[in-house]
Amino acid sequence: MTQGPDSTAGASTPAVELVGLTKAFGDIVAVDGLTLDISENLFFAIIGPSGCGKTTTLRMIGGFEEPTSGTIRLHGEDVTGTKPYQRPVNTVFQSYALFPHLTIYENVAFGLRRQGIEKSEVNRRVGEMLDLVHLAETSRRKPRQLSGGQRQRVALARALVNHPRLLLLDEPLGALDLKLRKEMQLELKRIQQEVGITFIHVTHDQEEAMTMADSIAVMRDGKIERMGEPVEIYDDPRTRFVAGFLGASNLMEGQITGSDSVTLTGGHRFHVSADKLVGLAGAVHVGVRPEKIHLSPEGASPAHANRLAGVVTDSSFIGVSTHYLVQTELVGELTVVVQNLGVTRFAPSDSVTLSWDPDHTFVVAR
Amino acid sequence: MRARVFYRTLLGLGIAYLFVPVLVVVAFSFNDFKGRRNVSWEGFTLRHWADPFKLPGLSEAVLNSLTIAFLSALISTIVGTLIALALVRYRFRGRATTNLLLFLPMASPEVVMGSALLTLFVATHVGRGYVTVLLAHILFNLSYAVVTVRARIVGFDRHLEEAAMDLYANEWETFRRVTFPMIMPGVLAAFMLAFALSFDDFVITNFNSGSMQTFPIFVYGATKRGVPPQVNVLGTMIFGVMVIAMGIFLFIQNRRQKARD
Ligand SMILES: Nc1ncnc2c1ncn2[C@@H]1O[C@H](COP(=O)(O)OP(=O)(O)OP(=O)(O)O)[C@@H](O)[C@H]1O
Ligand SMILES: [Mg+2]
Repeated sequence: MTQGPDSTAGASTPAVELVGLTKAFGDIVAVDGLTLDISENLFFAIIGPSGCGKTTTLRMIGGFEEPTSGTIRLHGEDVTGTKPYQRPVNTVFQSYALFPHLTIYENVAFGLRRQGIEKSEVNRRVGEMLDLVHLAETSRRKPRQLSGGQRQRVALARALVNHPRLLLLDEPLGALDLKLRKEMQLELKRIQQEVGITFIHVTHDQEEAMTMADSIAVMRDGKIERMGEPVEIYDDPRTRFVAGFLGASNLMEGQITGSDSVTLTGGHRFHVSADKLVGLAGAVHVGVRPEKIHLSPEGASPAHANRLAGVVTDSSFIGVSTHYLVQTELVGELTVVVQNLGVTRFAPSDSVTLSWDPDHTFVVAR
Repeated sequence: MRARVFYRTLLGLGIAYLFVPVLVVVAFSFNDFKGRRNVSWEGFTLRHWADPFKLPGLSEAVLNSLTIAFLSALISTIVGTLIALALVRYRFRGRATTNLLLFLPMASPEVVMGSALLTLFVATHVGRGYVTVLLAHILFNLSYAVVTVRARIVGFDRHLEEAAMDLYANEWETFRRVTFPMIMPGVLAAFMLAFALSFDDFVITNFNSGSMQTFPIFVYGATKRGVPPQVNVLGTMIFGVMVIAMGIFLFIQNRRQKARD
């Protein structure tokens, strides 16, 4: 059942379409009815806690795992049930999976040779690709003679040299130390923009996803819980799970009491932009990110419309910022992160007013 | 210091224990003995080396041993590799039973195996000879081949095969270019082990060879009339070939190791 590309072709044919994709291993449903479109040339990240089905999703797109049900279309063409070597997709494995018995050059040339590409062309493309990842001088070594970061780049080169239209990356930076990781994040992003292809990047590092991706899907228990641009889902996570997964947040119990307001259980009212209440009703949590809260001394006029009074109980200097714990009467302890801009510092037992913009206030279902 | 001398002596005795019998065999292939029995040193000669196959039946027996060892090692290594792949890779009904059955030929005494096979061949009216011995050798070699190759496959990263498939290699090319080169050392070891086991097998062969003779059977028969010096000559030759083969093997391994570091 191959659908001709023409029937769905057009500027808007997504690179990947998943329709009701499900995978069960015996009783365990690893991926549960995933439906999702990923448009062309996007850097798409899938994040979620361990065991939520990220790898399984990727493996089904790559063709290594047969879906229990559902459909996978790549560039409009139904590829469900085809073999990995029949799909215009390449994968960077978490363990890199470099062929230990082949040189770096032969590793990178592997895909081109299997496609029967002419020798001089193979030579040219492998050379180009090794230059792109700065590994030209290692081409005659074996994988075990390279460092972790170098191996990772070989894995990337080995996939990219085939000019796939879609590249799958399963936690490719997982094994690297922090510094190398940051470097490779920039490198990956640069390469993605340079070669202009769709990346699906699986990670459980939310910070990595937010710095690199154009769009993020947050998975939980085999389903997508929230999907959108990083800023969008960070500022309006919609569910408590997503709020907690994407960085720290302060959550306060309340009730929706108007088209743009939420009232705390203790009777205090916050303003919220109306679009963040769409689809929600009744009992909710109001949330605000620690770095969105402004602190001012008691009595001074606060900077923003949503306010709470409290007493500083702890402050710790972290270099770029200072983290405060503020005890409030209404909602208990809140975390506040303030950039160190040389403005007023607060000490424990100082009375303060916390304030934040209604636009920085989000609401999640209770 | 004293401990070192002690350990050196111990090591020397150990090596002597292993090699004195071999050296005796080698030395007596040069013994210029006059009587019927080649048991005491009477002088040096090369005359036994001049025509080692002079003895009637000896060259045939050696040829039988070599071809049976080669064929049974080849067949059991091929089949054993496939069985090992299936056992490690797939969950199927009868997998546990297969594992157990594979272990049996290694665990059961050769006498039992040999006589059981004889009973089978007699009951099914299969004439004993070259083919029955070959079948018997394939049978016991298979177990060793599976176990040897399996050890290599267990440590194999399956993502390598997925990576090959991801890079446009179909099933056959994946096997040829990735799986096989990776398990090659295990396959080679299995072949060599099977060859050696088959070549010197006596008990099982003796039950099932009928009038066909292999080298061990020939030697056994000849000893009854006193060991002919040609047996020493051939024994020395075989030992020499083994030493050279081992030397080449170690040399290649050493060079590979150096290339890696
Ligand atoms: N081959 C398999 N057989 C049985 N269960 C499996 C198999 N592969 C995955 N699972 C199960 O499916 C679920 C999802 O696994 P998956 O590997 O997709 O998680 P993940 O999101 O990639 O996690 P991680 O972040 O730890 O890599 C888990 O509960 C896992 O135990
Ligand atoms: Mg995973």
